[in-house]
Amino acid sequence: MAVNPVTMTALVLIYLAATLIIGYLGYKKTKNAEDYLVAGRDSHPVIIALSYGATFISTSAIIGFGGAAASMGMGLIWLTVLNIGLGILLAFVLFGKKTREIGQRLSAVTFPDLMCKIYKSPLLQYIAGFIIVISMPLYTAAILIGGARFIEPTLGIPYSTSLIMFAIITAIYVVFGGLIAVMYTDAFQGTIMLIGMVVLLAMTLVVVGGFTAGTAALTNMSNLVPKALADQGMIGWTSMPVLGSPMWFTLVTTIVMGVGIGVLAQPQLVVRFMTAKNDRALNRAVLVGGPFILMMTGVAFTVGALSNVYFYNTTGKIALDAAGGNVDSIIPLFINGSMPDLFVVIFMLTLLAAAMSTLSALYHAMGTALVCDLWGRGKACALSMRANQCGIVLMMVVSTILAFLLPISIIARATAMFMGLCACAFLPAFAIGVYAKAPSTKAALCSMVTGAVIWFVWTAFFHAAEAKPLGLCQAIFGKVTLLGSPWTAINPLVIALPLSLVVMVLIQWQSGKQQPAAIAA
Amino acid sequence: MLFGIPDPQILIGYGLAIVLALACIVYGLLNWNKGGSNDGS
Repeated sequence: MAVNPVTMTALVLIYLAATLIIGYLGYKKTKNAEDYLVAGRDSHPVIIALSYGATFISTSAIIGFGGAAASMGMGLIWLTVLNIGLGILLAFVLFGKKTREIGQRLSAVTFPDLMCKIYKSPLLQYIAGFIIVISMPLYTAAILIGGARFIEPTLGIPYSTSLIMFAIITAIYVVFGGLIAVMYTDAFQGTIMLIGMVVLLAMTLVVVGGFTAGTAALTNMSNLVPKALADQGMIGWTSMPVLGSPMWFTLVTTIVMGVGIGVLAQPQLVVRFMTAKNDRALNRAVLVGGPFILMMTGVAFTVGALSNVYFYNTTGKIALDAAGGNVDSIIPLFINGSMPDLFVVIFMLTLLAAAMSTLSALYHAMGTALVCDLWGRGKACALSMRANQCGIVLMMVVSTILAFLLPISIIARATAMFMGLCACAFLPAFAIGVYAKAPSTKAALCSMVTGAVIWFVWTAFFHAAEAKPLGLCQAIFGKVTLLGSPWTAINPLVIALPLSLVVMVLIQWQSGKQQPAAIAA
Repeated sequence: MLFGIPDPQILIGYGLAIVLALACIVYGLLNWNKGGSNDGS
């Protein structure tokens, strides 16, 4: 390892100390359950924007999807388009303001609690809480893996130790400081991420000789596309895959749509809207959020694709081959190999910040879902800070164990799975719930269950990328998937979300005016 | 071939990403002081 270990360790310790101090300030401001759960509903616009953005963007986005861009090419930029268009503009303007207003009026403290109060249905809260507690550890584990995979070679700490330390240090300030500490540290970490990604873009452009020179070189490498990828429909790194090919379906349905749409109904992000005092705070947050996301995913995908030029010039191999076929190793290898020592340190901190900001939000969302929405639903104990602290610790342990069990190259896929499930299960009920004058409980229940069940069935029995490792279809039917190509490449979201939406709209329409106005009064 | 990229779909993607980020800035500036009083009560 080229980086001076003393310098690296010193800077990481300074970063951790700063994070814990900021977390402590959040802890000191936390006086009651509302502070702990929704940051007192009085967050600053910049804090909201950076917290939302830093939670949104994790190591998955930078390492996992950056690696995916190195493998599949610049088509991933369409995910950035959806990240900004849907994840910021639509999310804040259409859903954020309504969520804030209703959440404040009904005193909702978690996403399932919000759904329960909109629809006046405790069952809905149980189902939403259950989906969160079951699926969020998968995403959390993917983030832990991403962080630990970079810490291992950079700091020279064994993988298992890196993973455990990472999990525990992040949990400390979440457990004690609640959402105020989480959002304060998110804002600090978001600032580090912004600096890191600006420097990463600049350094990469220097390495490849500028944007146009780099993309031109990448275009000229199209004859190096591996046969296995070419057979899947890949043309080159600066072109979209062949329309309708397996790779096109994977890129468009799993990566672009699965993640791009999935972000709209993620419980840990929806809660951020409930921390705003008024609409003005959300309006101002949009100004910061859009450019922030562009600098995160836009840069990660561009750098990922351009890393092929660097690897080819230095080793004669494309990025995927240079990383031994492991997509998740491409970005760390590129940074460690091509950047000056100081930048390796800056990027290390960027990744730590990205992972910790997302991890902290997930710990908070999982722990509060377990306590407020499942174990103590409707009881005073659900709002006890001590109970929520126990919930967060328990979910942290579960996620860490899961991280040890998941296979390699899981980061981007686990992220897409979690976001896809969120969209299929929650999005129609959430979107119609915040706008309908008389939202139908039956419609929301049916939509949520339909979305989650169809998503699972398609994942386990049709979508080859998950059905194969899960082995459920093989065990029951004796074959990897029930249908052949192109169905095996179509993401569960493309099937489950429209069905969930149709169920929601039809039953809501049927219920019509007979449904009592749940959110009136 | 613009910016070394032969596929217009990729170029449009980059263009849209930048335009949307700018739209966020414009939206934030135009609505900077709007919605300050509706505290949900």
